[in-house]
This record gives sequence, C-alpha cells and structure tokens, in this order.
Amino acid sequence: MDPILADIYSTVIPSAPYIIAAYALLWVALLVYLLMIARGTKKAQAQLQLLEEAMEDVVVEEIIIEEE
Amino acid sequence: MSNRDRGQNASLRLPEAGQWPDKIALGVTIAGIVCTTIGFLLAFLWVPPVGGATVSGVALIGDTMVSQKMLISQKIFYFHMPVAITSFVALLFGAYYSVRYLMTNNERFDTCAAIAMEIALLFVVMTMITGEMWTRFEWGVWWTWEPRLTTYLILMLIVIAYFVLRNSMSSPEARAKASAVVAILACIDVPICLMITRLIPSSIHPVVLREGGMSPEMGLCVGITVVGMFCLGFALYRARFRQVRLTQRVEALKETFGD
Amino acid sequence: MEWGWRKLVAVQESKAPRMGALCKTPSAWMQYKTLLKKDLQAEFRTKDMLVSMGIYALLVIVVFGVALSFARPGEEFLEVSGGLLWALVVFTSLLGLNRSFSRETENGCLEGLLLTPLDRGVIFLSKATANLLFLAVVEVIAVPLYWVFFSSFAQVAPTAPLMIVPLVLGSIGIAGIGTLLSTITAATRGKDVMLALLFVPIIFPLLYACVAATTAVLVGGALMDSTFATSLALAAGYDVIMLSAAWVLYDFVVGV
Repeated sequence: MDPILADIYSTVIPSAPYIIAAYALLWVALLVYLLMIARGTKKAQAQLQLLEEAMEDVVVEEIIIEEE
Repeated sequence: MSNRDRGQNASLRLPEAGQWPDKIALGVTIAGIVCTTIGFLLAFLWVPPVGGATVSGVALIGDTMVSQKMLISQKIFYFHMPVAITSFVALLFGAYYSVRYLMTNNERFDTCAAIAMEIALLFVVMTMITGEMWTRFEWGVWWTWEPRLTTYLILMLIVIAYFVLRNSMSSPEARAKASAVVAILACIDVPICLMITRLIPSSIHPVVLREGGMSPEMGLCVGITVVGMFCLGFALYRARFRQVRLTQRVEALKETFGD
Repeated sequence: MEWGWRKLVAVQESKAPRMGALCKTPSAWMQYKTLLKKDLQAEFRTKDMLVSMGIYALLVIVVFGVALSFARPGEEFLEVSGGLLWALVVFTSLLGLNRSFSRETENGCLEGLLLTPLDRGVIFLSKATANLLFLAVVEVIAVPLYWVFFSSFAQVAPTAPLMIVPLVLGSIGIAGIGTLLSTITAATRGKDVMLALLFVPIIFPLLYACVAATTAVLVGGALMDSTFATSLALAAGYDVIMLSAAWVLYDFVVGV
C-alpha cells in the first residue's frame, strides 16, 4: 500500500474498538433503562390482576351472603 | 369523607393515559428511532471524515485530494453532542417541573420531575460513556479535568445525590419539596460550573476546544441526531411516566382494598 | 436558648394591636438580631461545635502532614497549598454544618420557631450568619495553624495576605448553601453522608474559583495577574446567585 495512504488511514484501525464500544455502550444503556421500565410495568400489571381477582372473590362472597 | 379518603381517590383518579402526550408518544418513538438511525448512517456513510495531522504528501481517495490523517474517532461526536444536549434539556425539564411542584403542591409534578431527572441521569451516563471513549483514544487518558468533563462529572454527582436524597426520605411531601429544591439548585449550579471552569484555566490542562466550526454536512447530521435523541428522550419519559403512574395507582388500590 | 425564646415571644406579642399603641412592630432586622443572638448564645454556652470543629481542623492538618511526609516540597508546594487549605475548610465546615441544624430539631425548637409569625427568609439569614461566624472563628484558628505547620515548605509571595478575600467570599457561599442543604438533610436518614453528597458537588464551582484565587495569591507573579481578579469576580457572582436562590427556596424546605 502507498505509504502516504497508509499514513492517512493510520488511525482508523486503532480507533475502531473505541468507536464501536462507544456506540455499543450507548445502546446498552438505553436498553437497560427500557428493560427497567418493562419490568416495572409487568410487575404492576401482575399486581393489578391479583387485585382484580381478589375483588371478584369479594363480590362473589357478598352475593352469596345476600342470598343466604 | 375524610381527608385521607379524598387523597386516595384523587390518586386513583389521576390521569395516567389519554392526554395529548400519549396520543403522540408512539409516533414520536418511531420518529426518534428513524432519526437516530438516519443520523447514524449519515455519520458513517455520508459525512466526509475530519482531517487530523497533516501527512507528508497528498493521496487521491475517490476524487478528492487528501493530505491529512483521517480521524474516524471523531464519528463519536455525532452521537456524543446530541446526547449531551438532550441530557441538559432533561435537566431543564426536571427543574421546570420542580418549580411547578413548588407552586402548586401537586404530587403529579413531583413524579414528572423525578422522571425527568432519571432521563437526565440516563443521558448524562450516555454522554460520559461516549466522551470517555473519545478521550481515551484521542488524549490517551481516561480522565482529565477539562471544563466540560468536570462539569458533566459534577452534573452526574448532583443527579445521583438527588436520587439518594429521594430514597432517604420517607414522608412524601417533605421528599417532594426537598428534591424539588435540589433539582432547581442543580439547574442553576451546572451552567455556573461550566462557566467558572472555562474562565479560570487550570495551569496543567489548558482549555481544549474540541470542535472547530462544523461543515454543513456535519451540522445536518448532528441536527438530525439531536431531533432523534429528543424524540427518544420524550418516548422514554412517557413510557416511564405511564409505568410509574400505574404502579402508584396499584399501590393506592392495594391500600384501599387492603382489609 | 431559653432567654432567646422569651424575648422572641415578647417581641411577637408586642405585635398584637391590643397591647397598646406604645408597642412597636418588630422590624425584620430586630427578628434577625434576636434569632442570631439565640444561636450564638446557645453555641457559646457549650462551645461543643466550635471545639470539635477546631480539633477536627487540627486533625486534618496532621493528616496532611503525614500525606506530605515523604514529599520533598519546594516552590511547587505553593501550587498545592491553596488547594489543601480549601480541603481543610470544606471538611471542617461540613462537620459544623451537620451539627448546626440538628440542634433545632432535637428539642422541638423548630416547631416553636415556626409557630412565631416570622418570615422564613429571616430564619435563613440568621442561621447562615451564625454558621458564617462559627466558620470564621474556626478559620481564624485553623489558617494560622496551617501556616505554622507548613511554613517551612516554601516561601510565599508578598501578596499572601490578600488570601483573606477568597476566604471571606468562600466562607459566605459555604455558609449560605450549607445552611439550606443542612436544613434539607436534617430530615433524612443518614444525614451526615447525605449533606456531603449534596454539598460537595453544589459548592464545586465556588471551591474551584476560591482555590484558583488562593493559589494565585500564594504563588504571585504571572498567575496572580491572570487569574486573581477573574476568580474573585466569579466567586462573588456565585455567592450572589446561589445565596439569593437559597434565600428564596428556604421557604419550602424548613419545617415540612
């Protein structure tokens, strides 16, 4: 390869790991945050479901008591 | 109806979805993803690389004459700067909601402020990561007390302290007021910090002006990425807001039907 | 404290119109003076905060002495000494600030204070002044001590007495912001750590400016010409902005 061209491109290879790391870590940080949100939503929804089931039980019990 | 019941019902009735931000949230998310992708592609495929030190001669690449070393590491800048701007905008929103909270005492604004600060922390961390990678390669060190680096470190420390403070207070009202005050202080403190570290050059590390003027192509690329990052920040904010409101409503329900 | 209370209550009672036309409404200045006097009296009765701050400053100096014991400092010591002096001031003031507000919360003094129809800004100003005075007393002892222990390391520039200006500006800022933050952290779990966590980053710009000014004064020469005036102007600007912010925001954090 032409020495001048080689000189021009000389920083490309050494800097590549840093550039890749920068962009990769950027998206990793974003994804971690998204994951946190998704987990929180799931947990809240599961609890909501439990509450709904508990409510249904209460309503059924009340109906039975009224019938008696 | 006792005061407590009313408070609980109010928190049950608090709107968590269906306002205008939720209507545009999906569109904004898509716009954010599209814009950041375009910005990423433009940065690597379209914008000509920035030249560094002059080499001893000239070579023909494609149809342009090049006489400088190619600085690929500068490509980090196309995401570094938009992320940094977004983090500061998020901090401004945090301070804005804090002021709103102090004015209205509406618990909802406290949640908004906390989430805006969370987004600020996320983007500050992203800024630090990209900045560190660039600094490590270009300057050969992991850390130097350069004004902008220092300012971002301080910003990060204040935002972390904000969350530690929130976690160490149990009374919701006291926590909301104290953290609102800290958010406002942070918003005042950070620009002063940048100004002071810039105007008083420390003797060891002179002020380094990282970017010179931007070429129109670079400007366009950065502009698109900034728009994309704003959209992403908003989308994340909204997603987190919905999640937190949902959790709060579930907690309120649990308390109501606890017995 | 007792005395201060009675006087305060008397002052407030005199505000009531029924007490007669002879009684004057106490001015903000009177309220400020009474509150300040209360704080100073409470401290000078026991002196435990001042004593512990002074001894702590001495201990920090000892630690510096150990840290430097294998260095052979010459002229370059001057470039470090301004920073070390400010490290001493920051650590000592942190210790004092931690104590300054917990005394109010201990015996329900705060509730009493808030029951009187005082402007909260006056409470802030009196507290900040008291903290500033305590810090000044400690500095008057600590800075000469620092000088005694480290004077053999290097000869300072003739401009060294000007050091008092950054010390005054820095102490004002530390006392003002520190009062606000110690009020916030008084209600938290693990308040000592919490105060340091908030205090150090928020005070950072002021610290940087003061270190620059102090070093310039000690080194003299070109550094003095180039940075002294700028650093002082910036430190003063920080003081003005942050103190007015703290004064406005104090309303919200006290007694919630």
